[in-house]
Amino acid sequence: MHQTLLTVAIIGYVAATGLALAYLVQREEMLHRLAVLATLAAWVLHTIALLALAIDLGRPPLASMPEAVSVAAWVVVLLEMWIERRYGLSVLGAFVLPVALVLSLQSTPTRTLIGPTLSGAWLWVHIGLALVGIAALVLNFAGAVMYLLQEHQLRAKRLGTLYYTLPALATLDRLTYRTLAFGFPFLTTGLILGVLWAGTAWGSVFTFDPLALSSYVAWTVYAATLAGRAAGGWHGRRAAYFAILGFAVLALTLSAGLFLPGKHGG
Amino acid sequence: MALFVSGLSHRNAPVELREQLAVEEDKLRELLRDISSTNAVREAIILSTCNRVEVYAVADVPGEARTVMFRRLCRHRGVEPAAVEAVLYTFAEGDAVRHAFRVASSLDSMVIGEPQILGQVKDAFALAQSCEAVGPALHALFTHAFAVAKKVRTETEIARHAVSVSFAAVELAKKIFGGLEGKAVLLVGAGKMSELAARHLVEQGVFPVYVTNRTWGRAQEMARALSGTAVPFDEMSTALAAVDIVITSTGAPEPVIRRELVQRVMHGRRGRPLFFIDIAVPRDVEGTVDSLDDVYCYDIDDLKQVVDANIRERVREAHRAEILVEREVAKFLAKLGDVEVIPTIVSLRERLEAIRSGEVKRTLARLPGATLETREAIEAMSTAIVNKILHAPITKLRESSRAGSPRSWLELVHELFGLGRR
Repeated sequence: MHQTLLTVAIIGYVAATGLALAYLVQREEMLHRLAVLATLAAWVLHTIALLALAIDLGRPPLASMPEAVSVAAWVVVLLEMWIERRYGLSVLGAFVLPVALVLSLQSTPTRTLIGPTLSGAWLWVHIGLALVGIAALVLNFAGAVMYLLQEHQLRAKRLGTLYYTLPALATLDRLTYRTLAFGFPFLTTGLILGVLWAGTAWGSVFTFDPLALSSYVAWTVYAATLAGRAAGGWHGRRAAYFAILGFAVLALTLSAGLFLPGKHGG
Repeated sequence: MALFVSGLSHRNAPVELREQLAVEEDKLRELLRDISSTNAVREAIILSTCNRVEVYAVADVPGEARTVMFRRLCRHRGVEPAAVEAVLYTFAEGDAVRHAFRVASSLDSMVIGEPQILGQVKDAFALAQSCEAVGPALHALFTHAFAVAKKVRTETEIARHAVSVSFAAVELAKKIFGGLEGKAVLLVGAGKMSELAARHLVEQGVFPVYVTNRTWGRAQEMARALSGTAVPFDEMSTALAAVDIVITSTGAPEPVIRRELVQRVMHGRRGRPLFFIDIAVPRDVEGTVDSLDDVYCYDIDDLKQVVDANIRERVREAHRAEILVEREVAKFLAKLGDVEVIPTIVSLRERLEAIRSGEVKRTLARLPGATLETREAIEAMSTAIVNKILHAPITKLRESSRAGSPRSWLELVHELFGLGRR
């Protein structure tokens, strides 16, 4: 049952992504309204699918990498809908939904990566917090991309369709800052719990695990960006470049979990 | 009876001719009365702006009405009729409706989306009304045109983006800073255009305003005009550090604002963006300044390019507006059918209502002891009878008008119910 629901939800995300991208180019208000509806409908189906899965499994659907990524996609879409309304940022979907779609496509739950020996509340909290952090950083990435596009328009002085659709630079910079400030504590706490948990479960904090190693790198990039922003007056283009770098490492981290052998996956 | 519009505009007539033909308000009244007094025209509205002179009219014989009206117009203005008739365009019925909607929505304007035309059309309508030249058809047409114009304005972005250099600069500032509340501006040099741009910025909440000029007196004068503060010219770099937007318009032959200066100023700003609007020719801001981080610099040519982009944007939106107008034309034409029969329906209702209320009054006068309920019952019953009787003829009239042949039915109804001559 959850498989079918999930498939339909993914089709919904495909439609929403297509509509959001079409809106970005065409700027037809109708397309935007349809994209919002499709997003909401797909998200509701996704919610039901996740609940059904949790009931089937008798545990939170967070124990395997594909499951966790699916939940991450779910949080991303939730944040996207919320921020879009909050900031009146009608083009946000075009930048966030493609990422959410790619994430949700990984979630064919065929592989289990954490054996049944590993469980317990700490594990769920570790994964849950890390996922919320990652979701916020997806939004951070989208904000940075939009910032760079708008900045390029204003600098090149050749105003294309994006100049009209994208919001002000100040707004986009604020968005990237806030999503980072929101996501970073989640990511940090999630990682610390993971490290502590690894210490007890695997016997060592520094076992060779691709996902764990890659996530430390991502954390360092984000920590540096946040510190630079808070103390060094980093902003605008530089902060945006770092947001994109951080996201690239984060994507590697998730891929490592999905495709490489290691304690998290394989 | 036919609806038509006839006239000339910036599209087909040179400005000299438009100027000659343009009518001022007093003359317009005279002309409208003059035209109404001839039997050639039933209803008329004259729209006279610097870009168009048009007559919207309803007449039995449109060709004749058009000739009569423009002959009179030419006579009033002392223009050779032949020159006017050579360029005159005429749209009838559906095309006239479309033209009225397009004009009111500013789709036919020289600058698409300009906001003045709707006001001018409204004024023309009001003036014709005060001269009693407006009947049911033009009333319906123009009220619908106003609604269409409003719809076009709200549902498309036809008027959204600036087509003047100074407004374009304000929009750019918004795209950089978001809101402009509390952003500070510095004017370097004092020209008409920079004053205008500064005023637009102040309207958006920009505060405070600093003015500097080589001539101290001129700086003070301009500062007073803008409720700002005058700054001595050699303290410009201090002011640069404090503001977010700089408008330059000096007549200096060499750049006044050098790269080194801006670089130094940016150092202390901790990344706060600085936006130069350089409307001076030759330029006041050195060309290489805009390669600095967080510095945006638009000279007059850049701003003109932005305006061009905005105009393309309006043209794009205009296509959407045309589709909207087309839908409204269809809607209106369906309604217009009814317009012809509505006066008859109204007088038919009035006639029967007069009979009903008269009879009820007489009956009640003969029933002094009737209770309130009885009176109400009699009222209700009589009203019901009238409505039932009216139902079939009204439906028939509406149907016939939609089928396009209401005339014989209208006459029949007038005869049968004794409504008098149409």
